[in-house]
Amino acid sequence: MHNLFQYVPGNSIIHRMNPITKIFLTIVICIAAFVSGNLLFLAGLLAVDLLIGFIAGIPEKTLTIFKGLLKIAIFLFVLQILLVRGGTPVFWIITDEGLLTAARVVLRLVIVCMPLALVLAVTRVTDLTNSLVQVLHVPYKYAFTLSTAIRFIPQFLEEMSGIMEAQTARGVAFDKAKGLKKFSMILPLCAPLLISSVRKTDLTAAAAEVRGFRLRTRQSGYKRYPFTILDLGAAAFCLLLLAAAILL
Amino acid sequence: MINLDHVSFAYPEQGPSVNDVSFRVEDGEFVAILGANGAGKTTTVRLIDGLIRPTAGKVEINGTDTVTSSVSERARKVGFLFQNPDRQICKNTVREEILFGLQTVRGDEGEEALRARCEEVLKDFGFSGDEEPFSLSRGQRQRVALASILAVEPEILILDEPTTGLDYFECCHIMDRIRRMNEENRVTVIMVCHDMEVVLDYAKRALVMAGGHLLADGPVKEIFRDAALMEKASILAPQMISLSTRLGEGFEDADSPESVADAVLALRKGGARHA
Repeated sequence: MHNLFQYVPGNSIIHRMNPITKIFLTIVICIAAFVSGNLLFLAGLLAVDLLIGFIAGIPEKTLTIFKGLLKIAIFLFVLQILLVRGGTPVFWIITDEGLLTAARVVLRLVIVCMPLALVLAVTRVTDLTNSLVQVLHVPYKYAFTLSTAIRFIPQFLEEMSGIMEAQTARGVAFDKAKGLKKFSMILPLCAPLLISSVRKTDLTAAAAEVRGFRLRTRQSGYKRYPFTILDLGAAAFCLLLLAAAILL
Repeated sequence: MINLDHVSFAYPEQGPSVNDVSFRVEDGEFVAILGANGAGKTTTVRLIDGLIRPTAGKVEINGTDTVTSSVSERARKVGFLFQNPDRQICKNTVREEILFGLQTVRGDEGEEALRARCEEVLKDFGFSGDEEPFSLSRGQRQRVALASILAVEPEILILDEPTTGLDYFECCHIMDRIRRMNEENRVTVIMVCHDMEVVLDYAKRALVMAGGHLLADGPVKEIFRDAALMEKASILAPQMISLSTRLGEGFEDADSPESVADAVLALRKGGARHA
């Protein structure tokens, strides 16, 4: 779980794409998922997500992300079919409209979340930051904030796991509790997590300051991020996706 | 009694962190686990408490395999002090923090008894109880974490680098309290420590690890006097032991000086003899 958002080195065509193209592709997939309500098209988008992960050479990670999202999806699906009452009843209080809405919500959730996680798995955070600054002219301060937030995700997960381990050793039954009970046990632990996060953020900010953070400009990075034929291909694919989403 | 029988453990996608380690710790012992970074010390103590399960072999506490019960169930008997106290502290005052631990594992004793025990511990550790844990110094926070563990009166105390980052006086405060528990209440102590002076001062037995293997097991002084072992395990023996070892013959009267006073005495005796 801790490594879920971490970069996996590789030389696949997805790895070699410009980071901006990968972000663009992610955004297009998200837009397409919300523009079209066609279940077949949404299923196709999900297949595209999985295919991207497989082409990137990270099938295991892709499936881990998928399985993780599936758990949330099942919970949401049940919630939707119980709450949406419009349409014709199919079974008990479940209606056809409820089933359709639930399927759409769940598919959209998985479709939107997967590429976001995959982008981080196939792009170095530094490349993401530098390309945002160089290509899109995003001020370094904001790009750095974004990359730091991404970099902190696995650290926070590790910290949370450490806190849970320490509390288990004190007798808090994390190792036996499940579901909502476990969730209610986690809530009080937000205090130590928050405090450690604020301390870590303060330290990171101080470290950045003493290393001349404010002196950095768009020209400071030596690496360039040109667009290649791969990026052109990806852009064409994005346009096709958008067109299909609008038409379907 | 703790018994590790041919225990091995490997983290996913990594080589073995602990490799075929066997040892036994009797009740009331004070044992230090020594070794360089990555030697497998922390993994070993985590295996003892069952925070991770061995990939081979078995860990027994009082004759019971740790895999047959949960860590939280064992918390009444086994206290674990982590290097980072901030992972343990989760309440707004020191009193609440100590009570939290007590309520978790001794909740059946009734509120009044637990509050009385809490006040006893607060007094013992010199806290008023109303302090906010996160506004205390690092050393004080470590003492809060230790207080909340000792309040439960565990039979076994596991310490994972308890004095890292503490100044000398805070270190002594914590270690003296642990020694008292060990000597007066016969609490078994297993400590991972990088400070060899602390190990020499407080532990009676040392286990030396390197590359996941147990290299040696014996009395602390004997372990520190074995220069070849120290080198193999990448450990720097305490200065006084190194001094006596390097001075060699002529200073054998002072059987391993542990303090500056012992060393001065040994040097004077040796000097007088040579003169």
